[in-house]
Amino acid sequence: MGRKIFSALKRDWQLWVMILPALAYIIIFCYGPMYGIQLAFRRYDFSKGLTGGDWVGLKYFMQYFQSPMFGTTLRNTFVISFFSLICGFPVPILLALVINSLRQQKLRRVVQTAVYMPYFISTVVMVAILQILLSPSTGVVSGLLKSSHLIPQSVNLLGTPGAFVPVYVLSGIWQSAGWNSIIFIAALSSVDGQLYDAARVDGANRFKQVIHVELPALVPTIVILLIMNMGRVLSVGFEKVFLMQNDMNISVSEVISTYVFNIGVQSGQFSFGSAVGLFNTIVNFVFLMIANMVSRKTADISLM
Amino acid sequence: MIRKKWLALLLAGCMAAGVLAGCGNSQGVGKDTAASSDTSDQGGQSGEKAEKESASTGEKVKLTALISKHSLTKDVNEMEWLNILEEENGVDIEWQQITADWDQKKSVMFAGGDIPDILFKATATTDFATYNGLFENLAPYIEAGDMPNVAGMFEDHPELRTLCTDENGAIYGLPNYRSLWPRTNRVLYINKTWVDALGLQMPSTMDELHEVLLAFRDKDPNGNGDTTDEIPLDFNGFPSFLLGCFGVPLMNESDGYYVEDGTVKNFRVDENYKEFMIWLQELYGEGLINEEVITQDYSKFQSLARGEGTTAKVGVTLGWESGDRFGTEVADQYVPLPALKPHADSDENEVYWGYYYDNNSVNAATVALSANCKNMEAAVSFIDDFYAEEIGIQVLFGGMNEVDNCIQDNGDGTYTVLPPADSSIDPGTWKWTNSFADYSPYYIADDMKDKLTMGEDMARVLAEREPLDPTLDLMEEKCDTYPAKFINYTTDENADLAMNQSNINNIVDQTYAAWLTDSTRNIEEEWDAYVKSVYDIGLAQNLEIRQTAYERYLEATK
Repeated sequence: MGRKIFSALKRDWQLWVMILPALAYIIIFCYGPMYGIQLAFRRYDFSKGLTGGDWVGLKYFMQYFQSPMFGTTLRNTFVISFFSLICGFPVPILLALVINSLRQQKLRRVVQTAVYMPYFISTVVMVAILQILLSPSTGVVSGLLKSSHLIPQSVNLLGTPGAFVPVYVLSGIWQSAGWNSIIFIAALSSVDGQLYDAARVDGANRFKQVIHVELPALVPTIVILLIMNMGRVLSVGFEKVFLMQNDMNISVSEVISTYVFNIGVQSGQFSFGSAVGLFNTIVNFVFLMIANMVSRKTADISLM
Repeated sequence: MIRKKWLALLLAGCMAAGVLAGCGNSQGVGKDTAASSDTSDQGGQSGEKAEKESASTGEKVKLTALISKHSLTKDVNEMEWLNILEEENGVDIEWQQITADWDQKKSVMFAGGDIPDILFKATATTDFATYNGLFENLAPYIEAGDMPNVAGMFEDHPELRTLCTDENGAIYGLPNYRSLWPRTNRVLYINKTWVDALGLQMPSTMDELHEVLLAFRDKDPNGNGDTTDEIPLDFNGFPSFLLGCFGVPLMNESDGYYVEDGTVKNFRVDENYKEFMIWLQELYGEGLINEEVITQDYSKFQSLARGEGTTAKVGVTLGWESGDRFGTEVADQYVPLPALKPHADSDENEVYWGYYYDNNSVNAATVALSANCKNMEAAVSFIDDFYAEEIGIQVLFGGMNEVDNCIQDNGDGTYTVLPPADSSIDPGTWKWTNSFADYSPYYIADDMKDKLTMGEDMARVLAEREPLDPTLDLMEEKCDTYPAKFINYTTDENADLAMNQSNINNIVDQTYAAWLTDSTRNIEEEWDAYVKSVYDIGLAQNLEIRQTAYERYLEATK
């Protein structure tokens, strides 16, 4: 065994050297800080340092599970990420198919650039834009929606709890769909031209070509991305939720990450905050493994 | 192939050498600074004995100091009052000035253990426990009479001593105190131009205010022909000051907690809060309160009240000072209101306001001394000078000399804060430019109120609070103060308080927002269930912890 590894190392040593910086990065910045996880199992004490507090086992986890905020934060996190995934995942695929079928190169480039530009707006600016567009008194978008009677006159899109998830999800799609479609466009560009020719010979129209040529070509990419997204099912982007939060929508906008920030950082309960954060990570990990397993069993595509 | 290998080795060798050289360099730098601090140490020892006299012989004690200053504040070496103060003490201070991200730089510096001798505005009380041993205990110096000004401050205000003394009797950071600041942060302003334009009376009760707001809504008081652009009432967050008018004695209230008859209470479960919310909900339902009151951000809240040109948009609102709240164009339209009683038949002795003198006048841990300082005596005496009467006002407002020209000595024991030498700068900015300003070590005793004539801005701040003075006087006379600022908790108590408070806030904040903005919610009917849920989620425990700590504090200060 040892010999085998050694000879493998010796044979491909150039490759190993090349991968070394990446490995070093992961070890130093991803595995290294993990010793801090023990904070979740210790009673943190400033004077004794990160690793010096008394060992309390699962106390902080139990405290979270029994806390009245447990159900609320878990449900809110899940609802937001579930709808982000369900609504947000197909859009880039459709967008890629549309952009791919634009025949005129110049138009295609313009469209592609236009749809992925919003991705580069920072979250803070993005939420400020939302606040301006959706303001109940002066907002352009909320004004349009109200005058076309799509939403009731009295609704405040920034405050009404029922509006929080749609606003969050739709603005997220607007911002990132273009960017996310790039990977699908790349996959489509590698489709062999002969397949289209063969399909046309068989009498397939444009729509049939999409169904029978382009979609199958995208399936491996779709599955891999879906698996990776499943691993984030309980991690909602902290900044955007935090910035969109206010007293009116707090009942649906308090998610695990904002709760960790409130308790852990603002109130200085570092151990409790770590425990909640670690719980979140474990749930994500479990989801990732389940998705991976299902996909391997059914479609034989998987990460590992 | 072999040649290639040699080349590779050679290159690798070069890189390694480069890295080593890099290390060597940084070590060299480290040595240099160590060497320079060595020399300052020598200077320190020689000056130790002849500390004050050294000034006359021209032999100066070298010290290092750090200040975490406001971004407006100019280079402290250009502050003449500070140079004079250093001169008088026979010290020469090498200043390290930080204007941004101090919180992040701080932990790196403190954890490294290498800190300057004196730290101004750079520490928090929790640092002293976290970085145990890094700071010098100042209590012995105060006992020994080396810090007469600080000792004098503690004599006048023993609660300040309690504030900065830890459970072992040590004092690592010194607080400040100023008497000049107002007792409340907010004044209720009303647009008098609007009141006059509609031929109304100034309101003397909340019910009358309600009528005035209705008129503001319907009768186009700003006279631009548009009846929809006026916002009768606007505020930001929860208007606790108005709650005071409904009978909750908010005397140094903190997180909603206050003391009444020796008992710690929370206004979120008080009957008066219910009455207040019913009133507020009615106003909102009638379109009298800005519909974005919960969701707008602070900049929008501010810009709205500044109007468009000379056309005001807001009728009644809370603010710190009219110039700040309404800008230059419309500020003269607004006048301050007194604390209004809810109804004509309400008891005037049960009408209060938000009283926050403790918060406005005291800061903890404004200055600290390194335990490794080589010349304690000089440093201690230099720090103590900040608490002298004539220095304190200069720390806060800027120098009293020909160069700085911020304060004038009237020669009869009174002083005047001068208007900015550069007339294009407002007094607030001027203050922050020329002095250490707020959060610095100073002691401005209670009698300074009568000796110092303040600048235009602060004079206006105080003048606009005159209508509230009777109410604030009444509170001082009959209400218990909640000394939240001076009460310390154990680590466990802190953990419980924080955890519970987060859960409590979650309920009370969303209930407040929902009750305010949704007229279909029946507050009267929901009240009992709401109160029970707040108690159950942690308020009961928090009240108990705070009550115990409050009694502990009373016992300690007896």
